[in-house]
Amino acid sequence: MNRFILVILMGIMPFSLFAQLERTLANPDQPVELIFHAPRHINLLTVEPLSKKSMHFAIMHTFGTLDGGIQNLFGLDNGANIQFSFEFALSEKLSVAASRSSRDKVYNVFGRYHIFQQTQSGSKPFSLSVAGGGGVNTSKYDFLPEPAPNFSERMSYFGQVMLARKFSPKISFQLTPMMAYFTNPRPVYQIEGTENLYLALGFSGKWKVTDRSSLALQFIPNLNTDLRSNFGIGWDVEAGGHVFQMYFVTSQALNEQYLLAGGNGTIGDEFRLGFNVNRIFATGKKK
Amino acid sequence: MKRLLLFLYFVSTVAQSQTFITESGYVNFLSKASLNEFNGESDQLKGLIDLSQNLLDFYIDLNTLQTGIGLRDKHMRDNYLETDKYPFAEFTGNLSVIPTLISGTKTPVTAIGNFKIHGVEREIEVQGTLSKNADGYLELEGGFDVFLSDYNIEIPKLVFYELAEKQEVTFNAVFKPKK
Repeated sequence: MNRFILVILMGIMPFSLFAQLERTLANPDQPVELIFHAPRHINLLTVEPLSKKSMHFAIMHTFGTLDGGIQNLFGLDNGANIQFSFEFALSEKLSVAASRSSRDKVYNVFGRYHIFQQTQSGSKPFSLSVAGGGGVNTSKYDFLPEPAPNFSERMSYFGQVMLARKFSPKISFQLTPMMAYFTNPRPVYQIEGTENLYLALGFSGKWKVTDRSSLALQFIPNLNTDLRSNFGIGWDVEAGGHVFQMYFVTSQALNEQYLLAGGNGTIGDEFRLGFNVNRIFATGKKK
Repeated sequence: MKRLLLFLYFVSTVAQSQTFITESGYVNFLSKASLNEFNGESDQLKGLIDLSQNLLDFYIDLNTLQTGIGLRDKHMRDNYLETDKYPFAEFTGNLSVIPTLISGTKTPVTAIGNFKIHGVEREIEVQGTLSKNADGYLELEGGFDVFLSDYNIEIPKLVFYELAEKQEVTFNAVFKPKK
């Protein structure tokens, strides 16, 4: 009887063994993608990489405080701070960017590098990226009784590390230890801080509510100054190649240095309306 | 008993010599919406044709599909195909008639089987041609249409004019005899 079964098995085995192909992934370490909708999340940079040779263009605005009410159309009457930012991906890991923010007319140049990405297999439990750069304040200070700041006194720098994880298809978090350094933070600059060095810890959260829109959160407590912490809450909408981000935030600052040194209003009354438009252009292979 | 064993062994080796596989078949899909036409492709179609058992088995890792725009690929994987949950498109079926292949001649064939994508399995019929080349390799070409709603892939109103409901899938592959 046993021999009979053995023979049957031997007869069938070659068939059943090769009956179907085994399904294997082409890349077992497929990265987790779209941890955030865009390389920006409210004000902070994210770990979201750009494909090689693609360009990310972001127009960001923040308006006046809401406490003026309808008289000032909830702050929209008060001048907006606008930042134009272009980021170009030299490779899948490295991108370079330039931005111009109207507050103190700061031109910033920075780079973003993705050290590794969270993988679907879990071999990398989170994504790790770094960013850093510097900027120059190009406002005219002719009106000052003392000499206007020279070029090096107008410089400011920032550096940050971004750790992000998509915990589920709906929930993503990012932790961003950040620093900013002003060579000479003069009182005339539109910042509240007086120190040279600012340290902060950024928290970003995304809760994907529908397939193409998410609730966005931002919290940036300052670690070495008594400036108020930055808080933002917003709504991201993904529409093809665009990501629209509408938010309330406590600071008008849009670049990293000013975000840390610029000071913040109180949550609620001194919220400001903000609006980002992110557009990704593919300049590589076209079909 | 020994004879039976030998017989089975013989049958199984014959069966194997009638088995052809590919590791690098080409797949293309074409989306023709009113405002936007684009295609995506991959050269990593894996397939098996077993003529003795009349078995066809194909699969492709959907992560390998590329449309030429990185962000569109990410959206395709994340929002539409959900490749983290359903990484493969698969077809398992058989030929309606096993053709007698004449070297160098394309013979029309019809395959009937189950196609699975995005976690939904449906029976489909695929038209194509099969031929045997001078090296004894099989060449398969064919195509079929995939209607996204059949597989619970929703097209949001916002991109209705940019993504077609009907995706025209074509493929071709050269199959080598399995050793």
